[in-house]
Amino acid sequence: MIAPLSKYKEVLGLNRRNQEYVRPYNPPSAKKLADNKIATKRLLSRNGVGTPDIYKLIKNKEELMFLNWDSLPKSFVVKPNQGTGGNGILVFYGKKKGEQAWIRPNGDIMTKKDIVLHMENILDGRFSMGNKKDIVIIEERVQSDPILKQYSYKGVPDIRIICFKGIPIMAMIRIPTKRSNGTANLHSGAICTGIDIATGITTNSMQMNTKSPLTDIYEDLEMTTDLKENKPLRGIHIPNWDNILEIALKCQKLSGLGYIGVDIALDVNKGPVVFELNARPGLGIQVANRAGLRPRLELVRDLNVKNYKHGIKLAKNLFGGEVEESIEAISGKKVVSLFEKVIIYNKNSATKPKGKRKRRSEEDINTHAFIDTGYQTSRITTTMANRIGYINTTKYFNSLNVPQSFFTMEKAQKYIDENKEKLTSEENLLRVAKIINNGKIMIRPVIQITIKIADEIKDIEVVIEDDINYNVIIGRKDLKGYLIDTSNQF
Amino acid sequence: MTEQTLQVLIAITVIATLVSVARYFTGTKSYGIYVPIVLSIAYSYTGLRYGLVITSIVILVSTLSNSLLKKIRMHYLSRIAINYCFLSIVLILAIAVINKYGFGLDRISTIDPLALVSIVALSDFLTKQIVQKSFKAVFTTLLGTILIAAIGWFIITRKFVTIFIINNPWLIFVFILINLIMGRYKGLRFNELLRFKSVEQNKADDSSVK
Repeated sequence: MIAPLSKYKEVLGLNRRNQEYVRPYNPPSAKKLADNKIATKRLLSRNGVGTPDIYKLIKNKEELMFLNWDSLPKSFVVKPNQGTGGNGILVFYGKKKGEQAWIRPNGDIMTKKDIVLHMENILDGRFSMGNKKDIVIIEERVQSDPILKQYSYKGVPDIRIICFKGIPIMAMIRIPTKRSNGTANLHSGAICTGIDIATGITTNSMQMNTKSPLTDIYEDLEMTTDLKENKPLRGIHIPNWDNILEIALKCQKLSGLGYIGVDIALDVNKGPVVFELNARPGLGIQVANRAGLRPRLELVRDLNVKNYKHGIKLAKNLFGGEVEESIEAISGKKVVSLFEKVIIYNKNSATKPKGKRKRRSEEDINTHAFIDTGYQTSRITTTMANRIGYINTTKYFNSLNVPQSFFTMEKAQKYIDENKEKLTSEENLLRVAKIINNGKIMIRPVIQITIKIADEIKDIEVVIEDDINYNVIIGRKDLKGYLIDTSNQF
Repeated sequence: MTEQTLQVLIAITVIATLVSVARYFTGTKSYGIYVPIVLSIAYSYTGLRYGLVITSIVILVSTLSNSLLKKIRMHYLSRIAINYCFLSIVLILAIAVINKYGFGLDRISTIDPLALVSIVALSDFLTKQIVQKSFKAVFTTLLGTILIAAIGWFIITRKFVTIFIINNPWLIFVFILINLIMGRYKGLRFNELLRFKSVEQNKADDSSVK
């Protein structure tokens, strides 16, 4: 059940987070500020960082008694000022016509009496640290940007960015689900999805198994779970990514927290708004990104960052990588078109002396390859692989009767581990790859082929896969240093 | 000083250390240090079986009374007070019923009243958490607390342990040393090994955005 200890050397745990990062880098005054939502809002909005607008503040029961309910807009959010972990937050979507009652994301209706009771609980300090008297915040309900909204069950997805000493370290997005009742709280079952720092493109997704009572166990996920039409969670482009990173860094500077988790949502009208600053950001982000925080934090501990742009640039260079850098970064490179003419060399042709007539089974193939950066490793169909001499390999793989699809990555890996020898014992079978196609996790064979692309001959690794629309697809891994020209398609 | 006082004071050092090791090394949460100490010592007076029966009654009644009172608007302390009233009623009834039918708990009426009160006080901490946290968080902490209290009970009721510590008082400094080490321990907690096991495994070789 537990991996060998050496596997964990990159993972940051609570003990180390507290001793090496929270305590030394987050002074008590800064922590106090982050724990106080009103003070945080004031500081941020004074400095031009967007936050949800406050409609009303209620400091005591008298004020609650005299609250003018008719002055509130139809939808709003009720929050405790010093609440922790999303406790005590109520979201209202609309008002019931002609009644003093409001509608919650799951359709429940709360009357004014219920809401007053909840607010009294907040004032009594039920949701705040140390049960101190607290203040009720009634604020604007953020309306999610349409791009992210389509992945979320009600509610607003929120982006968490961990920054350390002026550099964004790791990011994830938390997507509300039916199980989490429209909140972005991981413990109640929201989806967490890792984000590549360099590009703002989403990577792996997890959901906490809320049924297991003893510890935080996560399950892999590829698609959203309870929407009318479920969507893949991988490869979502977060809009305005650089701007979001800059806001996170600005929050860090303003708050004085050296190690911070900034929660940002994208509002359809206002753009990025900051929900909350966290002086003790949780560690689940490591699971979402399949990467530990330790090496990243240790790498930047001694760096001096000049300004926000510098910090972002450093982060992109140091921690980006899942997805290639933007076009600006590479210039003066070779240009390939979307349909690029290529020659795929036959496995047996290299051994044949030049000039001699080749049999059909030894012919090199002139064809068009489709250039698609959506794939990482390049692809080839079984038919094409057979034609260039890998018929024994494909036959061998088919004879293994590998299951058509796997439920989770974990299960696929387990299958690979268990059948390691069998899976790679054919001489041209380089390795097998876990791939995701239309939300299905499969294991496919990988071979090495020789290809001529843009006047360059090179050996590339390709996955043999039949569920593709072209004979050959060239993926990101083999497109380093090329510019893709989308104008001359044919 | 009576021998009993000495035993209790020694018990405190053992259980306090146990709590700190449980928190930072195995990742078991409890309601602070006070509750496990009081529970362990109370169990040592009542016996583990009786202690656990009373604890279960306390947990059951507190949870029920909280969900019952949730809908009524009232001040916090009044709520807790009602909770205690319920608890007393149920405990009186329970003791009466057990007295009559036995259930293998014949000594229930001879239980030290102070020990009983100490266990009942668990309700206070429980209520506070039930209002604030999710069911899962409450359950984990509760389980952790009782587990630590039970282990604590086991250690402090072994006569040879107490005698050994009384004869070797320097052992208290060993406890302090253990706590110093725990206080500076930066490694992963045991429960984190489970939590983060997927970080280093199952990396996808490849993925398509399609």
